[in-house]
Amino acid sequence: MATVMESSAVEELTGRVHTADPYDYTHEDVRDLQIKAINERFQQRKDQIKLLRHRAEEAGLEEVSSLEDAAQLLFPHTAYKSYPESFLIDQRWDRMSKWLDTVSTYRVPVDKVKDAPDVDGWLANLEREGFFVSCSSGTTGKSAMLVASAKDMEWVKVEAPSAYAWGSGTTLDSDRQMFGMAPVAYTPRNHATGEAYVAKLQDPNAGRPASRAPPTARGAVTKGAVRRKKAGGAPAPPPERGERENPGAGRPKFADAAVGPPAAALSGRRPRRLHITGLWKGLYDVAKEVRDRGYSAKDFNPENTIYVGGGLKRAKLPDDYREFVYETFNIQPERNYQNYSMQELHSGMPRCQKGNRYHLPPWVVPLVLNKEGDALLPIRHEEYEGRAAFFDLSVDGRWGGVISGDRVNIQFKPCACGHKGPSIRDDIARYADLEGDDKIGCAGTVDAYVRGMS
Amino acid sequence: MNTITDLKTPEASGEAVVSAPFFYRGKLVEGSDQTHRSRDLGVTFATHAEGLDAAVQPRTEVPPLLNVPTTEIIDFLVETGVRIRDPKNEIFQDCIDRMCGTHILPREVVANQAYYATMMLDRQRLQAELDQNFPDPRALDEWVPKQDFTGRKSFVRAFAPRLIHVLPGNSPGVAVKSIAHGALVKGVNLFKMSSSDPFTTVAILRTMAEIDAGHPIVKSMSAVYFRGGDAATESILMRPQYFDKIVGWGGGDAINNLIKYTGPGLQLVSFDPKTSISMVGREAHASEEAQELAADLASADVMTLNQEACVASRFQFVEGTEEEVDRFCAKLHRRIAERAAASGDVRPYDMELKEAIETLSFLDDEFRVWGKPDGKGVVIRSEEPVDFHPINKTANVVRVDSLDDAVKWINVATQTVGFYPFDRMADYRDRLASGGAQRIVHLGEAGPSTIGNPHDAMYPLHRFVHWMAHEDGTIND
Repeated sequence: MATVMESSAVEELTGRVHTADPYDYTHEDVRDLQIKAINERFQQRKDQIKLLRHRAEEAGLEEVSSLEDAAQLLFPHTAYKSYPESFLIDQRWDRMSKWLDTVSTYRVPVDKVKDAPDVDGWLANLEREGFFVSCSSGTTGKSAMLVASAKDMEWVKVEAPSAYAWGSGTTLDSDRQMFGMAPVAYTPRNHATGEAYVAKLQDPNAGRPASRAPPTARGAVTKGAVRRKKAGGAPAPPPERGERENPGAGRPKFADAAVGPPAAALSGRRPRRLHITGLWKGLYDVAKEVRDRGYSAKDFNPENTIYVGGGLKRAKLPDDYREFVYETFNIQPERNYQNYSMQELHSGMPRCQKGNRYHLPPWVVPLVLNKEGDALLPIRHEEYEGRAAFFDLSVDGRWGGVISGDRVNIQFKPCACGHKGPSIRDDIARYADLEGDDKIGCAGTVDAYVRGMS
Repeated sequence: MNTITDLKTPEASGEAVVSAPFFYRGKLVEGSDQTHRSRDLGVTFATHAEGLDAAVQPRTEVPPLLNVPTTEIIDFLVETGVRIRDPKNEIFQDCIDRMCGTHILPREVVANQAYYATMMLDRQRLQAELDQNFPDPRALDEWVPKQDFTGRKSFVRAFAPRLIHVLPGNSPGVAVKSIAHGALVKGVNLFKMSSSDPFTTVAILRTMAEIDAGHPIVKSMSAVYFRGGDAATESILMRPQYFDKIVGWGGGDAINNLIKYTGPGLQLVSFDPKTSISMVGREAHASEEAQELAADLASADVMTLNQEACVASRFQFVEGTEEEVDRFCAKLHRRIAERAAASGDVRPYDMELKEAIETLSFLDDEFRVWGKPDGKGVVIRSEEPVDFHPINKTANVVRVDSLDDAVKWINVATQTVGFYPFDRMADYRDRLASGGAQRIVHLGEAGPSTIGNPHDAMYPLHRFVHWMAHEDGTIND
């Protein structure tokens, strides 16, 4: 395993999470150190991660001596959902474990984890052995399975609140009432960051954090997909029929009960310093109800903070939905925490308070590619557009280099907020959404229209 | 033809704006009121804002083709085919240039497809289509007298329908075929073009207008583009006041979108996306020669239109031991690679698909992969069909102990089943039909079909027409 000497560049960069302002650096200052750190990671991992070794052999790389080299070793985000779906559907946990092993830094003890009644059981077995797997719902229906180590879980507990404090201009003083208004998918990573937020934000005298939505079960999303898929072959047995078109049926109908009670609770806690989290649609509906009850900005604490996850998720809201929510809860513009991250990374890029830009910490190396994702764009001082790809030096349990599906505008010149590090404009879009059009062909998959197949 | 606008040559650059004119019953209209993005290559094309009135012929007007004899329509279609194939036809050469900007296949493949498609514009073939689709094709030309066993008399007419065709964009053949079918049934036709080919249909119609701009065929055809799913346009156009049938291509979202507009008086005739497969019996392993032959035939089906077409085989169910099937796979891979190299098609391979196939090669105790996912041909052997859609010269050989075990994978999306050996086909055809399949063919012959045969499990022309009865009382003697 790695000695202290070998990990020096990685540790020097990730160690900056403990400094007062890790985002204040110039690209030139860290460039060589970042390349050195990526190479350290590469030397450690190339014989540990099977997929990485394959990539390295294909590229003919023995070491990383430039960002161009690093770009050749990035994994597409789809690498974490490349398992054959039949393994999941047929609950072949030995096979799933073997697949997971091809993308994991540490060897998955197949025999110790393979005996499980369902996906939750398998994930629990893995967790017991120190493999923390976060499943994404995935837009295509197939879950990405991101494996992480205990060290990763410790890291996100430190990094997430620290990025929040920087982005919202607040201190972590355990002096807030936390108020969650969106169901959060259970993943080990979300759980770890959630715990860390409570530990550092929630006022212990204010009781338990108020959450109106229980997290979805660990493998709920995955199970739903499996159930629908299975139903495609033969008719589902009667007991399964009722829920098979509605994988969330077991969960309380959050949407229906989501407006009145939280609005009442928020109205009752008006003077408190609140930290509100949620998705836009839910936040907007609750804000509207709070207004209907006769409350607005003047009634709420001016130090309130908000963290909104995700985009609009296709919800139809009035054009001024953001302003409406901020004004209802008296959220000052600089107290609105925005963060650009993805399940594939273990670090976030908090938005600054003046420039409307997401700032990269020095341990996340930007490798912005062309739209096709097959060539590194030359780094320019001025802003330019490309496909987001990053090397997150903090990632331990799998490879830290990943290509996203996002279109970003990045610049390496100083931001209006005064910070000199690389930053991304807050108008990130998914290429898939930009490209979507009415394509029709005569060749297609059965999934395209036979119900129950996907 | 009322107006022909000079068309600008499309620029070569990827971001150039290419003009895509509309055609309204003989009139060409070009404009740049709206720009649209085309799939795959990110080309932008410009159109005028749709004038919906021009695209619809009022029901108070009898369809222009109604009393034009089918023989004359066939003559016109045959002449259209000749003109399309004529290398001096500037309209069509220009169309191919434009299409190459918005099409995923190479120019030569696109041009060949278009020329190949016009081969259906042949007198004998068109007549055969009519003869196969209608028990009495005279019903298209006249009110055919009938009398039942009680003595009751009537006349029946295969009356000219009003059709809105929602076209796919992956094959110019569909444009040719849709125009020919629309003309044969004497319909009033509106073609809604696809963003990946907003050119071919108009080029064919313009070629027709050059033959005789005033001909009722030309007066029966319009072609426009609007974005599929654009409710503002669709909810106005797709009404029973204007059309009898929506002829829809595609599946999933595309068809679900059209279904919204169907109801009494406006029916859907759908051509769904299809997957085709091969079934290869253990006889293929009887000798090296037999295996070589079966692998070559299978590779021909995989590589039909470089695997872009619905008839192209994607899954090959091969009966035999793992050792036998692996030897077959090696040969199949070699044949596919040869055909791929000869085609000059070097499209990049989809990243997600590449990832999935590489992963299978790591799981080598259950899967085996021949070649690489690089667009030069790859074969994957597995015990069940893979969960991705094999495309871009990718074959998935599924080993089975018996072809009986392959039947459960057949469903309504299975169009063509290429079969080897041929003498076992009769044993399987009932079960394949029961599973939902639509064609069973000799392995290696996925492409050709018997002229006038049903397509996607129906006789389409018979479904297109508006069957009208004229009851004429009873004769008592």
